[in-house]
Amino acid sequence: MSEKKLHEDQKYIDGLLQNNSFIIQAIYDKFVPKVINYIKQNSGSVDEAQDIIQDTLLTIYNQASEKKLELTCPFDAYFFLLCKRKWLNKLKKSSNKEVTINEEVLYKDDEAQQLAFETDVFGEKQELFTEMFNKLGNACKELLTATFKIKSMEEVAASLGVTYAYARKKKSLCIGKLTELVQESPKFNLLNN
Amino acid sequence: MTDQDYILFENYLLGDVSEEEKKTFEIRLEEDSKFKESFNTYKELSSYLEHTFENEDASKAFKANLQKISKVYFDKNKDSVKIEGSKNTYHFYKYAMAACVVLFLGIFMFNQFSNPSYADFAHYDTISLTVRGEQDALLKTAENAFNNKDFAKAEDAFSKLLKVDKDNSELKLYRAIANIELNHFETADALLFNLQEGQSVYKNKATWYLALSKLKQKQYAACLDILKTIPEDADNYKQVKNLINKLD
Repeated sequence: MSEKKLHEDQKYIDGLLQNNSFIIQAIYDKFVPKVINYIKQNSGSVDEAQDIIQDTLLTIYNQASEKKLELTCPFDAYFFLLCKRKWLNKLKKSSNKEVTINEEVLYKDDEAQQLAFETDVFGEKQELFTEMFNKLGNACKELLTATFKIKSMEEVAASLGVTYAYARKKKSLCIGKLTELVQESPKFNLLNN
Repeated sequence: MTDQDYILFENYLLGDVSEEEKKTFEIRLEEDSKFKESFNTYKELSSYLEHTFENEDASKAFKANLQKISKVYFDKNKDSVKIEGSKNTYHFYKYAMAACVVLFLGIFMFNQFSNPSYADFAHYDTISLTVRGEQDALLKTAENAFNNKDFAKAEDAFSKLLKVDKDNSELKLYRAIANIELNHFETADALLFNLQEGQSVYKNKATWYLALSKLKQKQYAACLDILKTIPEDADNYKQVKNLINKLD
């Protein structure tokens, strides 16, 4: 990906990352109407479009901040395809029907399709991770929250009243437990394949 | 994976391993796919947790800002959709009203100014000439030809029959109808005049068909004049009245 030329629309990704209201506003004005139309034409309402769009922008933000997101295609195509994927996924979930997205296969090579696909998988994984994190016991949740918020393991140990060695071991085992929960979920296997 | 494996994952990620431990770990990653899979997930989850908690404040701020912009955009959008919607219905009613006016005008004009056509009124039943038990082949031919709307053949048969049976009013009437259908108005009209002057049961019918003959010739005034001579006790007076109304 790094060899590929960065698209000038990267400014939208950077703007989202910087929580730049001007850029977010521009995204709404320029790219959102097309998505609303698409969702309305595919058994959705304006309210549902609003949720899908907000959710999509949040996923892009999360991916950009966690993994660095380098746009090698126009933002328009990437954003539209991502919203479309999210909408079709939602339809699939609510109707329990198989919704086949044939274009996926057709345009797999396409830059925008590929990027949208990656971001979509990233978003789905995040959702799954959050769900599984909430399934952990309270002790693990507290320890992991403290670990990643405070950063210093010594401080974490002190705040929880345990030794440093115990805190670090516990952290490994809690993430280990989370790893198992995630790996056991059928959704994870779908996303990884 | 065992507890020890997870501790190893953590140590490796923190770089808290010796050179030898590191090598052993990497060899295992290459050889043991299950180990590799678990490690990758562990790493991914670590990254997720780190990002989620570290970035919690920035993420919350972004979400709040996004919601605000989204709400403003969609509220504005919904308003404009509403306005557009009502505008559209207004247009729709306008067009619907215009369409109705055109339609009513059309019907009105049609009724008022368009002339009724012969085909609208020329309804005759199939004829039966052989009921009286006569097995005349020519009668049969005339009957069949007339009923099958082969009026040329019927006319041929009727003319032959009338040479023999000169005063047969029934045959005269049917021959006249066949001739109207063939646009042989002179023959038709002559036959009908003849019947109209006589006192047969076909008198009124003949007058009616004479009127229809004029109608087919688009001689509307003549048609109307003839219609007005038909007495009210005629069998088909309703039809007569109807046509008079359309022509008047």
